[in-house]
Amino acid sequence: MVLRVLDPSNETTPPLGVLAPRVASLAGATVGFISNGKEGTHGFFAHLDRMLREEFGVAEVIRRTKSNYSAPADAHIVDELRRWQAVVTGIGD
Amino acid sequence: MPLAAKTYPVPDIAAAQELYHANGWTDGLPIVPPTEHAVAACLNWAMTPPDQLLGIEPVRAVPITAEKLAINAVMAGCLPMHFPVVVTAVTAMLQPEFLLHGATSSTGGCAVLIVLNGPIRRELGAAGTFNALGNADRATAVIGRAIRLALINILEVRPGGIDRSTLGHPGKFSYCIAEDEEDTTWNPLHVQRGLPPEVSAVTVLAAGAPRQIMNEWTTDPEEILETFAAEMRANMRHYSIWAGNYALIIPKQLREHLQAAGWSKTDIATFIHVRARVRRGEWAEVGKRAVVRDQADTEYAALESPDRLLIVAAGGPAGGFGAVIPPWLGNKSIAVTLPIGACVDCGPPA
Repeated sequence: MVLRVLDPSNETTPPLGVLAPRVASLAGATVGFISNGKEGTHGFFAHLDRMLREEFGVAEVIRRTKSNYSAPADAHIVDELRRWQAVVTGIGD
Repeated sequence: MPLAAKTYPVPDIAAAQELYHANGWTDGLPIVPPTEHAVAACLNWAMTPPDQLLGIEPVRAVPITAEKLAINAVMAGCLPMHFPVVVTAVTAMLQPEFLLHGATSSTGGCAVLIVLNGPIRRELGAAGTFNALGNADRATAVIGRAIRLALINILEVRPGGIDRSTLGHPGKFSYCIAEDEEDTTWNPLHVQRGLPPEVSAVTVLAAGAPRQIMNEWTTDPEEILETFAAEMRANMRHYSIWAGNYALIIPKQLREHLQAAGWSKTDIATFIHVRARVRRGEWAEVGKRAVVRDQADTEYAALESPDRLLIVAAGGPAGGFGAVIPPWLGNKSIAVTLPIGACVDCGPPA
């Protein structure tokens, strides 16, 4: 006897965003950091800020912190990042 | 309406197990093979068409349809009569205040606690007595597991995938209890939270593991509740200081002392609201001096208000035990209570 069993997964792929074009150089660029606001981010982003300016010639680093570290970035931050040439965010703790 | 899910032919049940394990579609335990017949029976019982959209997880825009949820419910061992509870629990989890993505992806490793109230408990044989937080009965075991399998399969909440839990806890296999409404004078949880007593309801809470307490050496209500409050203070010192929904599970032995003295759930919540508080400076006593800063005297309450406490009468008849179930992380996620198969406070169709 053959059993026919059903796929329990979500077979439809949710729409994914399209990656922005890669920047050729960070020299003179504006780079944004979106922080989840946790304790460990302070030292990490301070160090990264210094590295980007001193070693990669970044013109400006803009730091923003989400109002809820377990939720997506606030709308005003997403609006603002359109003006940045690169953004640093991601999964972390 | 025909089902839309892809089907796989397998020669026998053992082959079905290997198919599901190989695809990462289980929680590690064997599943009930979800055949079209079994899934359709769940949908028919709930009078729900397979393509009914129960909601969309907002962060990743993943739709949850009744069919996909029913497939996972069957896999968990649900009978058709269990499925309306699963539907309501998922609907509650999709409310914005529950913050489903955060709760299921966090390193904090919480699980979704489900509390059943109302007449449906008796229809399903969900007792809420012996071993209430363990494998108490078939209904609570399979309903809780259905939620976890749905998260794994529909929302891809797999360990190391969306689920970034550092530790997690055993409640992530199944975390569902029924309130022992028959053996208490207290209002059931859903009535405390504003629903009529005659409806059945589900309450969901993004919750840590239960912390068991014991005090069988007093009959004094304040002394009994002080032990619960102390456990909440311990959670605030050792885990998270932030206020949120806490649940107290109060079994019969301690419950009877409180009831005999005339204490209602509201009285208990009022007392706990006052007593479950710590000063930030206490962090220094438990190795967290670095984050006390200049706020040592700042007081923190476990509950922003008394109604944030979820009190559940449940547990076996003997033993001076109880449990504190802490929130995942403060008020990032708020408990949600919804009626099952009923519309409360809604007008007639326009």
